[in-house]
Amino acid sequence: MKKVIIQGLITLLLFTAVFLGLRQLDWMKVLKVEKIKNKTEEKLGEEVMKAVLENSNEIPYPEVINPLDSILDVICEKNGIDRDKIKLHVIDKNIINAISLPGGHLVVFSGIINETKNQNELIGVMSHEIAHIQSNHVMKKLVSEIGLTAITLSSGGGEAARQALKMLSSSAYSRNMEKEADLKAVDYMVNAKVDPEGMANFMYKIDSESESEMNFDWLATHPGSKERAEYILSYSKGKLKDPKEILSSATWNILKKKLKNSDAE
Amino acid sequence: MIGTSFAYVPRDDEAEKASNSYLMSVIAIMVGLPLPIVNLVATLFFYVANRKSTWFVRWHCTQALLSQVTLLPLNSFGFWWTISIITGPESVSSNFIAYILTLVLFNITELILTIYTAIQTRKGKHISWWFYGALTNLICKPL
Repeated sequence: MKKVIIQGLITLLLFTAVFLGLRQLDWMKVLKVEKIKNKTEEKLGEEVMKAVLENSNEIPYPEVINPLDSILDVICEKNGIDRDKIKLHVIDKNIINAISLPGGHLVVFSGIINETKNQNELIGVMSHEIAHIQSNHVMKKLVSEIGLTAITLSSGGGEAARQALKMLSSSAYSRNMEKEADLKAVDYMVNAKVDPEGMANFMYKIDSESESEMNFDWLATHPGSKERAEYILSYSKGKLKDPKEILSSATWNILKKKLKNSDAE
Repeated sequence: MIGTSFAYVPRDDEAEKASNSYLMSVIAIMVGLPLPIVNLVATLFFYVANRKSTWFVRWHCTQALLSQVTLLPLNSFGFWWTISIITGPESVSSNFIAYILTLVLFNITELILTIYTAIQTRKGKHISWWFYGALTNLICKPL
């Protein structure tokens, strides 16, 4: 019996020693894990973006692109986010949705810009999507919903990318991920001196209008909006004393007008 | 791993059955990867089927089963760690890679030993493994 116990303990010690020995190496560096991960995500993002652009076009007007770029610049600068990592695309499509894709692609559809009443609502939506990107939720959602094949999608071509896009634009993140992104978005807005109430208002709006016939795709990916609006308000209460606007009223109005005109065309 | 002599010389059919208990886990590993439970279930099934067999057969079925039982918690931990990385908030780390490499190392060693023991027992030779052999001696007695 004693022999068995001693041999068992030695085996266990051997396992522990091998593990502790291997732990001494920085495997993330040795195997270039981050580099490979980033490269895969980048390639996957490019493929999914191609799928987005199959049936729609990017809006080319500087009156629309520049203000959104400015919003992104301020949010990134005030929150220590690498601006170059986020690629903004404004898509001419009348659907009320904004999505984050692998590789840092932030897609904002013209429909959601039209639906926002003021710039703070739009900043709220964009901050929320930036938070998903920063928290690596996009890849986690892809991998957990369509399995490890997501990793190989980058070489899978069109159909696989279309599937990934469909999943990212029509199904919700987990409740925890949504809450994390909401609260992070509030922090981003507060740091940029933008009133987070705009984000909560937009949540209330999509919750109350969800019964209507409107094409609220953002609702499908962000359920339970009323409850979320409430915790956004309670989390942000008293955090910001002196809110400011990123865009001037004139710039915001030009942006809205340009989009309306392009819709009419 | 020690090649020792058994209390008696096994017959050819005993050697075949004893060898199969090891082969069972090898085949199950191929079928069941990456689920850590499949090879254990296969070995357990073979053990139950042969629990009234001769001492030599039972001894080797027990040794094969014990080796799988001890690997199960280690493999399961690695399996669920992987799942939590895929689905949860955790991400790949050096600790995780070190653990998986340790598992791979131990599983490969176990696989090589299993194949070697399957070949040797088929020839009627008695192979007793470090720790598992001694533990089997405690559990498996002649009827």
